[in-house]
Amino acid sequence: MKNSVKLHVIVLAFVVAGEWIGAKQFNIGIGTIALFPMLYVLIWGAIVSWPKFKLMSDKQMKHAATVLGISFMLFVAKLGTMLGPSLPKIFEAGVSLAFQEVGHVIGTIAIGLPIAILLGMKREAIGATFSIDREPNLAIIAEKYGADSPEGRGALGVYVCGTVFGAIYLALLAGFLGSLGILHPISLAMGAGVGSGSMMAAASGALAVTFPNDAEDIALFAAAANLITTILGTYICVFFSLPVTARLYNWLEPKLGRNKLSIDKGGDKS
Amino acid sequence: MMEKAKILSLIGLIAIIGNWVGYKVNPIEALPGMILIVLVTVIGLALATYLPLKIPAVIWISFIALLATTPIFPGNAWIVDQTSKINFMAIATPILAYAGLSLGKDINDFKKLGWRIVIVSLVVYTGTFLFAAVFAEIIFRIQGRF
Repeated sequence: MKNSVKLHVIVLAFVVAGEWIGAKQFNIGIGTIALFPMLYVLIWGAIVSWPKFKLMSDKQMKHAATVLGISFMLFVAKLGTMLGPSLPKIFEAGVSLAFQEVGHVIGTIAIGLPIAILLGMKREAIGATFSIDREPNLAIIAEKYGADSPEGRGALGVYVCGTVFGAIYLALLAGFLGSLGILHPISLAMGAGVGSGSMMAAASGALAVTFPNDAEDIALFAAAANLITTILGTYICVFFSLPVTARLYNWLEPKLGRNKLSIDKGGDKS
Repeated sequence: MMEKAKILSLIGLIAIIGNWVGYKVNPIEALPGMILIVLVTVIGLALATYLPLKIPAVIWISFIALLATTPIFPGNAWIVDQTSKINFMAIATPILAYAGLSLGKDINDFKKLGWRIVIVSLVVYTGTFLFAAVFAEIIFRIQGRF
């Protein structure tokens, strides 16, 4: 109980300070970077929980992760209440919504796999690039290859990276791409629905800061895209992404791979 | 379940305060909307826990929230009106604060990773975001929507 009181008080203080500072945009020449309360509190949280500072116990950090899982549901409920009144608008964009899902599926594999192989990764590349490797995807890979297989290690690596900097990275990327003015805010919002809660929240937040007039629609279409990814994601991964990634690996590896035989034998931890 | 309901109410309160500081919505005015959002969440979590179906809570909650705000649901206009007083960013801010505060436990795992996997994960996130956005854009342009 004492543990959780401290945790919630810190969060309250962060939220008040973060919202008080508000959103800022920085011009970096070719575009802008959006900074906003979600990112401030995320970074402050990371600093406070940094193991060297010993400000928080392992138990408190685990508790924060539990609360995170539950609290994300509130965000889902809020987005759901925006979907109901806008169903006609969503159906109108139905074809785009269907194709953005294809984009999510192909986009993870298409650039990721060749680059992973070029960098010298072996079968880890399959686990690392078949999906964005959140919890449901880890379960799929563990079931097929085992959690301690090379494929499982690749997936776990991307999972840890995603937890540590996924939300921040996608927020900066979304804000920057938005400011370039090439893609429409609604297309970008659909892109933001990557199927991970905190990444979607941060990316759509960055877009809402970059396009304040479209904020409502951005939340709406990011939510719709994210919901599609959540519902279909598991099936797509089992029946399409994973088998296709494995086959592509077998085909591409002899062409692009290097350091043959070295990494599989434990020569490299990545 | 009770424990979850308590945590949700607490985060709801924090979000209302954030909504007040950041978006200037009076907390008393925002309260009914937040109660509705917490209620929808609790019902969704309960259905996912107690029904013998393998449907995750996220889908139940989205479905109930969506249903309650469509024109077929009694009182939908009031529900839409109340919940719209809560800015979606104001709810996400406390969530990301908890995410930040849980990061410390992952830092040691992160330090053990090689540089290759870090690059590959950046490429994977960029790919999934960019391809989806570009695919959506292509369809919108073909349809002549913008």
